[in-house]
Amino acid sequence: MFLQQLVNGLTLGSTYSLIAIGFTLVLGLLQMLNIAHGDVFMFGAFLGLTFATLGVPLPLAFFLAMLGAGLMAILIERLCFRPLRKVHFLMPLLSTIAFGILLQNVATQIWGSEPSRYPQTTELAQYQLGPVLVSSIDIIIIAISLGLMVAIDLFVMKTSFGRAMRATSEKPQTASLQGVDTNRVIIFTFFSSGALAGVAGVLTALVYSQITPFIGIRQGLIGMVAMVIGGIGNLRGAMIGGLLIGIIEIMNDAYFTASYRDIILFGLFFIFIVFRPQGLFGTKQREA
Amino acid sequence: MSVYMQGVVALMGVNILMALSVYAILSTDQVSLGNAGFMAIGAYTSAYLTVKTGLAIFPAIVIGALVAGVMGLLVGIPVLRLSGLYIVMATFAFGEVVRTFFLNFEPTGGAYGFRGPIGTTLPLIYGWVLACILFFGLLSHSRLGRSLAAVRDDPEVASSIGLNVKLLKLGAFWLGAFIAGAAGGLYAHYMFYIESNSFHILVSTMAILYVILGGMYTFWGAVVGAIIFSILPETLRFMQDWRLSLYGAVLVLMLIFRPSGIITPLMVRRVEGLLAGIFRKAGA
Repeated sequence: MFLQQLVNGLTLGSTYSLIAIGFTLVLGLLQMLNIAHGDVFMFGAFLGLTFATLGVPLPLAFFLAMLGAGLMAILIERLCFRPLRKVHFLMPLLSTIAFGILLQNVATQIWGSEPSRYPQTTELAQYQLGPVLVSSIDIIIIAISLGLMVAIDLFVMKTSFGRAMRATSEKPQTASLQGVDTNRVIIFTFFSSGALAGVAGVLTALVYSQITPFIGIRQGLIGMVAMVIGGIGNLRGAMIGGLLIGIIEIMNDAYFTASYRDIILFGLFFIFIVFRPQGLFGTKQREA
Repeated sequence: MSVYMQGVVALMGVNILMALSVYAILSTDQVSLGNAGFMAIGAYTSAYLTVKTGLAIFPAIVIGALVAGVMGLLVGIPVLRLSGLYIVMATFAFGEVVRTFFLNFEPTGGAYGFRGPIGTTLPLIYGWVLACILFFGLLSHSRLGRSLAAVRDDPEVASSIGLNVKLLKLGAFWLGAFIAGAAGGLYAHYMFYIESNSFHILVSTMAILYVILGGMYTFWGAVVGAIIFSILPETLRFMQDWRLSLYGAVLVLMLIFRPSGIITPLMVRRVEGLLAGIFRKAGA
C-alpha cells in the first residue's frame, strides 16, 4: 500500500517537477515570476489533444505540443517581460497574470469550457512489480520526465551555452561584457521553460484523460510551491521539490483527508518563504 | 437607478476600497497579493456576527475589519522581513491558505458557502469610500504621509534620518488589511451569500491592477483605476464571449505603453494648483 502510493506520488510529482523547473529557470535568470506559466502548461495539454485527435502519432503530437508551448513562452517574454525590463518588478508580474487570463479565455473559445476528453492513444498495460501495480502511463511519465530533467541539467551544467545561462543569471551585465548574447539566453530560457511545461501538460492530460482551460491555475501554484521548497534558481532543487510535493499530496489523500490537501501545501509554501526562503538545499539568500 | 446599475456601482465601491487597501501597503513599496484573504476574513467574521448573533451591520463590519487588521499584523511581522518577490509569494500563499480554510471550515458553511448577511446600502459603501479618501487626502499632506513616502522612495535614507522603517511598513500593512476587511464586510452584506471562491486570488490581482493602472504613486490613482476598470468590463459586454480576452489584452497593452499609470503625482499637483487658483480668484 505505502509503496503503491509512493509510485503514484512520484508519477504526479514528476509532472510538478517539470513545471517547477520552468519557473525556476525564468526566476533564476530575470528575478521575475511568470504567472502565466501554468497556462502555458494548459496550452501544451490542449495542443497535444488537438494533434492527437487529428490522428498524429503520439510521439509527434508530443513534440509539436512541446514546440508550441515553447513558442508561447517566447511570446510571453516578448509581450510581458521585454518591454517592461526597466520598470517596477510588479509590472511584468501583472502583465503575465493578465496574459494568463487571456490565454484561458482564448482556450475556452477554441476548446470550450467543458472538460475535453483525451483520446485513448496508448495501450494501457499494467505490470505487477512485487506489491506495486504500475501502469504503462506511469512508466512513460516517469521516464520522460526524468529523461528531460537529466537532459536539462546536463545542458545547463556541461555545455558552453549552459554556462552562458548561468553567467547571465549570476550577473547579466558582466556576462554581456564577456560576450554573452543575453537576449538569446533569455529567449532560449523561456523556450525551454515553456517546452517543459508543455510536456508536463500532455503527460498530466494522459493521466487524468480530461482537461479544461483552467487546469493551469492550480498546476502553476503547485509548481511555484515546488520551486520555493527546492530553492529559487536551483534546478535540482526544483526537481526534488516537485517530487516531494507529489508524494506529500498523494500520502495526504491516502492517509489523511483530501480536503485539507491545499491548506497543507500552501501552508508549507508560506512557512518556507518566510522562514527558509533559500529552500531546502539553498545556502545563500538571494535578493529578489 | 436600475438594479443592474446599482449592482455595478456597489461593486465599484467595494473595488475602490480594495484598491485603496493595496495602495496603503504599496505606499511603503510592499506588495501584497493576499488582500483577498483579508477581505475574506472581514467578510466571514462580520457575516457570522450579523447572522448568528444578530449584531447590527455597522459594528459587525468594524469588528470584521479589526480582525482582518490583527491578522494583518500576524502575517506582516514575519513577512515584511523579506524583500520584493518573496513578499509577493508569501502574501499570495497566505491568501490561498485563507481561501482553502474557508472552503473547509464548517461553522461558516464550508463548500456550501454562507447565506444570510444583508443590509449593505449604497450610502454605507460610499460612506466608507469617502472616509477612506478623506483619510488618505489628509495623510498625504501630513508628516506621517511624508514619512511613508520616504520609506517607499529609499528605506535606507528614511531610517538614517530616524524614521522607524519597520514600524511604518507594518502600520501600512495593518491599514491595508483593515480596509480590505471592511471591503469584505460590505461585500458580504451586499451579496447575501459568500463562498470561498468569492475571495479568489484574482480578486487580489485585480485590486493591484486597479492601483498600477490608475497610478501607484497617489491614492487618486487607486480610486480612478478602480472606477475605470470596474466600468470597462461592463462596457465590453457587447463583445460577449471575447470580453475577457479583450480585457486581458487592454491590461497588457496598458502596462506596456503607460507603466506609470493614468494618474501621476504631477497631475494631482497640477489639479490641486488649478483648484487653489480658482478658489483664490473666487475669494478675491
